Amino acid sequence: MGKTLILKEMRAHLESFRFLASFVILFVLVVATAVVLTGDYVRKLDEFSGRQTELDRYLRNYAHFNRIGAIVQPTQPPVPFQALVRGLTADVNIEAFDDDPLPVMFPLIDLTFIVTILISLIALILTYDAVSGEKEDGTLKLMLANSIPRSKIILAKAAGAGLTLVGPLVVSLAAGMLVVLLHPRVDWAGVDWAALGLVLAGAVLYGLVFSLIGILVSSVHRSSASSIMTSLFVWTLLVLVVPNLSPYVASFLSPAPSRIKVARETARLTDVDRDDLGRKLMAQYRAEVFKEYPVLGERMTESELKKRVAEDPEYRKAYEADRAEVERAWAEANRIQNAKAEGLREDLRQKEAAQTGLARAISMASPLADFSYLATDLTSTGTRNLVHFGELARLWSGSFYRDYQPKKVAEFRAKDPTGDAWNTAIDMSDAPRFRYVEEGLAGRVQAALPPFGVLLGYAVVLFAAAYIAFVRYDVR
Amino acid sequence: MIGAIVRKEIVSNLLSYKFFVVLLLMVLLVATTLFIMYRDFSARLADYQVIRPEPGAPIAVVPPNALSIFAKGLDNAMTRSFEIGVLGVDVRAGQSSGNIIYSFFPTPDFLYVVRVVLSLVALLFGFDQISREREQGTLKLMLSGPVSRAKVLFGKWLGNFISLAVPFLLVTLLGLAVLLLDPNIHFSSGELGRFGLILALSLLYMAFFLSLGILVSALTRRSATTLIVLLFAWALLVFVLPNLGTLIARQFVSVPSVRALSEKREQTWTREVLLGLSDRGNWAAHYRAINREDDRMEEDYRLKFERLVRLARTINRLSPAAGLLDAATEIAGTGIDEESRLKAEVVRYKNSILDRIIGDQLAGKRDAQYPAFAYRYRPLGEVFAAGALVDTAWLAIFNILVFALAYAGFARADVR
Repeated sequence: MGKTLILKEMRAHLESFRFLASFVILFVLVVATAVVLTGDYVRKLDEFSGRQTELDRYLRNYAHFNRIGAIVQPTQPPVPFQALVRGLTADVNIEAFDDDPLPVMFPLIDLTFIVTILISLIALILTYDAVSGEKEDGTLKLMLANSIPRSKIILAKAAGAGLTLVGPLVVSLAAGMLVVLLHPRVDWAGVDWAALGLVLAGAVLYGLVFSLIGILVSSVHRSSASSIMTSLFVWTLLVLVVPNLSPYVASFLSPAPSRIKVARETARLTDVDRDDLGRKLMAQYRAEVFKEYPVLGERMTESELKKRVAEDPEYRKAYEADRAEVERAWAEANRIQNAKAEGLREDLRQKEAAQTGLARAISMASPLADFSYLATDLTSTGTRNLVHFGELARLWSGSFYRDYQPKKVAEFRAKDPTGDAWNTAIDMSDAPRFRYVEEGLAGRVQAALPPFGVLLGYAVVLFAAAYIAFVRYDVR
Repeated sequence: MIGAIVRKEIVSNLLSYKFFVVLLLMVLLVATTLFIMYRDFSARLADYQVIRPEPGAPIAVVPPNALSIFAKGLDNAMTRSFEIGVLGVDVRAGQSSGNIIYSFFPTPDFLYVVRVVLSLVALLFGFDQISREREQGTLKLMLSGPVSRAKVLFGKWLGNFISLAVPFLLVTLLGLAVLLLDPNIHFSSGELGRFGLILALSLLYMAFFLSLGILVSALTRRSATTLIVLLFAWALLVFVLPNLGTLIARQFVSVPSVRALSEKREQTWTREVLLGLSDRGNWAAHYRAINREDDRMEEDYRLKFERLVRLARTINRLSPAAGLLDAATEIAGTGIDEESRLKAEVVRYKNSILDRIIGDQLAGKRDAQYPAFAYRYRPLGEVFAAGALVDTAWLAIFNILVFALAYAGFARADVR
């Protein structure tokens, strides 16, 4: 019996104009988006390799350890999934002078957008008159005149709508994937298929949530004209309003100190103040060395100094002791000032993390936000990836600053003991490069579980509510 | 006669459930967005008081724009702190870059409510105007009286326009009045005038969607069909076209990526500092070389980016939503052109004080005094000449076109 009911629901959907229109628009949009985004992805690949070439040239000719931190920063290469899901990959760069405001004004269209806006709209269009429409047609009475429990009818309606959505989604996505895969420069791995499958499952669940909203609303209203109004009202709030408000509300509830002020203060602490302290400490420490080795007091030019260091072992000892004290003074100044700056930064980081967490929690009331988090985390384009990227960057900076740098400095000193190892160009083309590796699927799935759970919870609650409303529905 | 039709439309709207839902949505959203964006603006204003440069400091910071409450646009980018030094401009961005969730969803400002929700609401008002009356049979009755179809159509349009515009304007003006009560927020008469223009554009935009609803409703036989066609048309016009258009423009205009530019800047200054260390004494020449190279790069980027924006705008004009967004943000002074102009001004300011900064730095002079940076927003005439006029005219043409089509469709419609 249940099967017959589901088939009836699906047939009714499949034969309707609304289904045809939805299918066509979904198909066209997914394919168009895939074409445009694949082109964009390939452009980004070229651009990324161009940047790497520039960096190589620099590392061979001008790299020096004093300012190397500004140059060899880890950067994220484009991931193949960007041909479908863009997430947080838009290059706005507001923290630098050269920014790109277009993505701020016009957010990019991608699969997440298509699912969150279009699938939810389609789900509502399919179901807004599920109960009220049948009541208006008079078929509801006929159906209930037979020995069918109401629970079965409502279950069949939900299952029918959910299953109807699967078809167009899968077909459109397959066409979009064909576009992506036909491009020779997109490497699509097995794990990407698994992630895509999970995103698809999330999309179906998301569609089901909105189908259930449609069914619930339609079993509260007497006429389908008013049920479409209520459905669109709820849709607007859940999809267009709640997620957008969440970061603002969070910033009022959990404020963070001014970023610009903290940045200015830390810059002063680690620059001007550091230099003052460094000079003071240097004078202090060197005074001790001068007392021990009065020979250092002699004035001489650089070439004389080099000669003397090479020829006179006694002087060389004094010279090295002096240099060690200078380095100790600056290291101490750096340590003290960096600790002060780090304290300020840590406070800012904690407050901002609290605010971000709150914003995320508030936004998860909206199914749209849940699906966005789920899709971006599964495809390595979301916040989970930022954390993962930070972890990789930390590992890399360990290998660069702890292993590579001292080795290179020692090599340099062995060749030229009086040279300035910090401010001399050293060929660093053999430096360890930052290599980005996508996080394993297990970690991504773990990140996607909470939003998935919220969507599932929504589905269960909405189904229960729809059932209760339908049981109380006056079918006359 | 038109008066009677207008009255009839308004009365039937007032009694409908649809009107109740729409009114609720409008009041709720306009009130929420004004409150939220007002709080956001106050917070940014408080931040500005903390970070505003002391007199004589070579720092360019523009205070938050009060009109950003209505059209936030790029105000976050415009109110960054541009700190001038021997190496050029050092940029620091404010609060919103500390919370990644901002980047997931578009800003819910007044303009967003107009662009997304008001257009939807206008469609909902228009979608069953003809088809419902045909289904109910009242269309036949009405046309059997001595009244032309043009008058019926115009009466319907006007009646619905009034029943949408009056509550919308009331809620908005009430919200504005509440904002004006706060002594910290000062709107000059010029800013109020600009807001008036934005409101007028919003009404024009709303009228377009109302006419579009009536057009489709005259062409289709069933109101359920009308609704589906309209909802998809709405999603295309409001979301898809503008956003896909900018991506398509990028395929045609090659613009260096902003990351590449920032990396290039870092490479330039570290290289010049290194070279400067090897030829002791001639620091000024190296500082100037850094600035020269950065300025050249910046100008090259600005020209290319302007070309990209022009092309993107041309493509996007297919959608009235993009036209509204461009025109309203430029009028508010938070648009793409305005931000580009501010950056050019910052570069000019930097170059006007650069020689002194370099001299003072080399002389080891701290706390030197420099002239302050002042930014004046473009006057309205310039804004309109630069593109807002085309956007407005285009919006008007869209309106006339769709209404004319609706008339043609209705004149040919079989009312049985």
